[in-house]
Amino acid sequence: MDDAVVDELRAILGDDDRVLPNVSSRASRTRVPAPFPVHRWAEFMPDVAVLPVSAEEVSQVVKLANRLRIPVVPRAGGTGLSDGAVPLRGGICVDVKLMNKIHEIDLEDRTVTVGPGINMLKLNEELRPHGVFYPDDPASYPCSLVGGRIGTGGWSLLGARFGHTRDLVISMQVVLPTGEIVEIGDGGGRKLRKSSTGLTLKQLFTGHQGTLGITTEATLELVPRPELEFSAFFAFDDYMKAYRTTGALTRSGLATLAGVVLFDEWKLRYLRRDDEAYIPQPPWVQAVIAVAMYGTRAEVEPASKRVMELGRAEGGKYLGDEISQGDWASRHDRYATPLHGRNREGQVVPMSWHCEDAALNYSVLPQVREEWHAIVERYIERYGIFDDWGMFCYTNGAFKPWADYLVEIDVGIWEQQLDDETWAGWVACKREIAEVALKYGGSITACHGATREGDADLVPTEMGSAWEVVKRVKRALDPNNVMNPGKQMLDEAYE
Amino acid sequence: MADYSPNGDGELQREFVERWRNNAYGCFSSGHKFCREVCPVMQVTRNENHTPTAFHADIVAMEKGLLSVEDVADDYVHCTQCGACELRCPNTLFTGDFYRHRTRTVDVVKAMRALMVATGNERPAWKQWNARLADARNEPVLGEVPVSQEHVRDWAEGLDLPTGGETVLFVDCEAAFYRTSYARAFALLLQKAGVEFGLMREQWCCGGPAAEMGYVDLAREHAEHNVADWREVGAKRILAPDPHDYIAFTEDYPGYFGDDYDFEIVLGVELVAELVRDGRLSLTEPVERRVTYHDPCRLNKRRGVHEAPRELLRAVPGIEFKDVDHVTQWSYCSGGGGGLPIEKPEITAEISNRRVARAEQLEVDTLVSACPWSERPLSEAADGRLEVMDLFELVAQAAGIEVGGRT
Repeated sequence: MDDAVVDELRAILGDDDRVLPNVSSRASRTRVPAPFPVHRWAEFMPDVAVLPVSAEEVSQVVKLANRLRIPVVPRAGGTGLSDGAVPLRGGICVDVKLMNKIHEIDLEDRTVTVGPGINMLKLNEELRPHGVFYPDDPASYPCSLVGGRIGTGGWSLLGARFGHTRDLVISMQVVLPTGEIVEIGDGGGRKLRKSSTGLTLKQLFTGHQGTLGITTEATLELVPRPELEFSAFFAFDDYMKAYRTTGALTRSGLATLAGVVLFDEWKLRYLRRDDEAYIPQPPWVQAVIAVAMYGTRAEVEPASKRVMELGRAEGGKYLGDEISQGDWASRHDRYATPLHGRNREGQVVPMSWHCEDAALNYSVLPQVREEWHAIVERYIERYGIFDDWGMFCYTNGAFKPWADYLVEIDVGIWEQQLDDETWAGWVACKREIAEVALKYGGSITACHGATREGDADLVPTEMGSAWEVVKRVKRALDPNNVMNPGKQMLDEAYE
Repeated sequence: MADYSPNGDGELQREFVERWRNNAYGCFSSGHKFCREVCPVMQVTRNENHTPTAFHADIVAMEKGLLSVEDVADDYVHCTQCGACELRCPNTLFTGDFYRHRTRTVDVVKAMRALMVATGNERPAWKQWNARLADARNEPVLGEVPVSQEHVRDWAEGLDLPTGGETVLFVDCEAAFYRTSYARAFALLLQKAGVEFGLMREQWCCGGPAAEMGYVDLAREHAEHNVADWREVGAKRILAPDPHDYIAFTEDYPGYFGDDYDFEIVLGVELVAELVRDGRLSLTEPVERRVTYHDPCRLNKRRGVHEAPRELLRAVPGIEFKDVDHVTQWSYCSGGGGGLPIEKPEITAEISNRRVARAEQLEVDTLVSACPWSERPLSEAADGRLEVMDLFELVAQAAGIEVGGRT
């Protein structure tokens, strides 16, 4: 990128401290927590980073990029588990962290309007005195930012009760790939949850992985703070008993149910072997279920009794208040504790944690579990730098927890050892995992986004007959393919 | 745009990377960034270069030949060494127990700054500050009293303190030359409780701030001087009312002197709390203030000291104490530490400004701190909105002591 572009960016932002062409700024905005080919770091650096403070600045930057055909990569927290914020072709990284203001708290119409750079935990600290909260609660709750949640179509641990990110965004302001600033809602008004006017554009702009624009402001749902939180963990001597219990819990009709999680035998084996925070359980424990409920006392207290009945009906053993409350409370901190992988020889080596996700229906969970573990086992044997850290299935449907699941297999990767051969092995492994999800009528991702090399190759296959529509939308909104190019096979829109 | 090729200081950089690569990888492999939102600097700049995560990732990038110390030098200025990131790190929280792992970020920043000095990448304001330190042997804190050895005891005027003895009081530079009320309040409280102590013959700066800015040889020189002085006067116990000195004496000095270093280091706030607890100090004068307490980073985050100051505040009669718990305060800071105000005063000012705004929301009239280095930026930020007081000054008032000195 030539200096003239940097000069133009400086003219737009009017503040040299917010235009960063230096190498450390570029290196810092290259990767996210997803597995990264460390040996190829330089290939993924943006050419320059900018830190805008207004929609107008974002708009001007994007217009410049569109005029000169320079790739634009939006970046919020940089905490994604796929490569949405990783530049594949250099270009301008639009880092929105400085756009972290709360613009309005409307307690009458129950909305909060924020910039995309604010973190949910920080937002909730400000909302707390008002008796309300914003319930978007990913594992990365202390660090991910609202803009990234919208761009990636984030998934919430409390989604069954309160909805996921796209259910919680009421409207937003978006800078399109051509630079126009537009207001996007369900229909017109910024604070309306349901409209039948025009097309429902809102869903189009949540979960596009930064390929259709940059959110510069969002009006979000305010929910009454729950009076009561209830969590319970149950242990089982057999996976299928836990599986059936999961089904029974999710079909219970309890409206305060916020999530049910099913951990499999491999996960238990991993926890026993290497997880320092694991409270030892007897060998007969082969699967565990976690249940959480949120709501008013009037609802949750009686509902919790029903949960205890259902949890025990197939022989589940309640693991006690300490584990039930403690493990649930530490759910964010525990989402990735690396450093305790084992290589093929069984030695502890420093590994990164990666979870490969899919959306799958209830009926296929046991079978997919068998096939996924078999795939990972083959790659462990062949390369020696991977490790199987088990699987979990988590209720996936917003407000409708009974039929489909976010399914993840956690794989340890010794990233320090990555080279071209092992990286290619990892990509192939991911592709095989995704193929199984498609084979069973699932989606290759429920929450992380199909932007990774490997599974992203399968996006056209998964979209099937709708792929043509996707390509037309992309081409119409981004005629020059400048917005996060190279992601989700969208280059095909320009062929 | 600059090309990324390591510069000529390859050998020193290689040693640095070798020393810190595994620690860095512990963070890199997780990549959570839970630290970002508790980091006081990041809360202001929102620049990902300044995240603790970036500090570790930079080391991995250096190992790959993508970055040199020159490339990252300015980034590593953006740290107060408060330690919040280490506490909030899931690796420290969870793998800590099992693998005895603690993500070390403060030490990484100190080591990088030392590398900056060693490779000629030092920062201009720090260079000047430490040149003046080497000259005067005390930090060039700006105030009415000229900084020099001739005036290092001026704060104690009229207190009739002896030199030497088994217990020696160490007064840090900010309190000796600027916020003298802090040192006076502490000394007077001890006198009232009948604690015997003396001063050093020649008190140089503890050297801690120099070490924090990367001037390791200068820091070591100061440590050697001070320890020699302690030995000369027969000191066995060193009273350290200032949290920064306490860190230097308990973390830096043992590293310099090994097993030979056998002094008992007493933290001021813990001693005063003990004196009140044991009834050797009576707090009988009502203090009609509505206060909140600022947890100084080096007490709360670096050393887990948060109860003794609260115990003292609760013992003051007449006071209304609106507390904010010490974990919430992991993300609070004055911005006064780690040399930040010397190089980036505008960031320090904004960190303090936000801290004072937090206090204001509680509708208090006084923000009480327990660290003189925090009190200058906090007072400047408060600017009449509320009063910033030191805990010793407040306790002295409750003990009926007329303190004097400058606040």
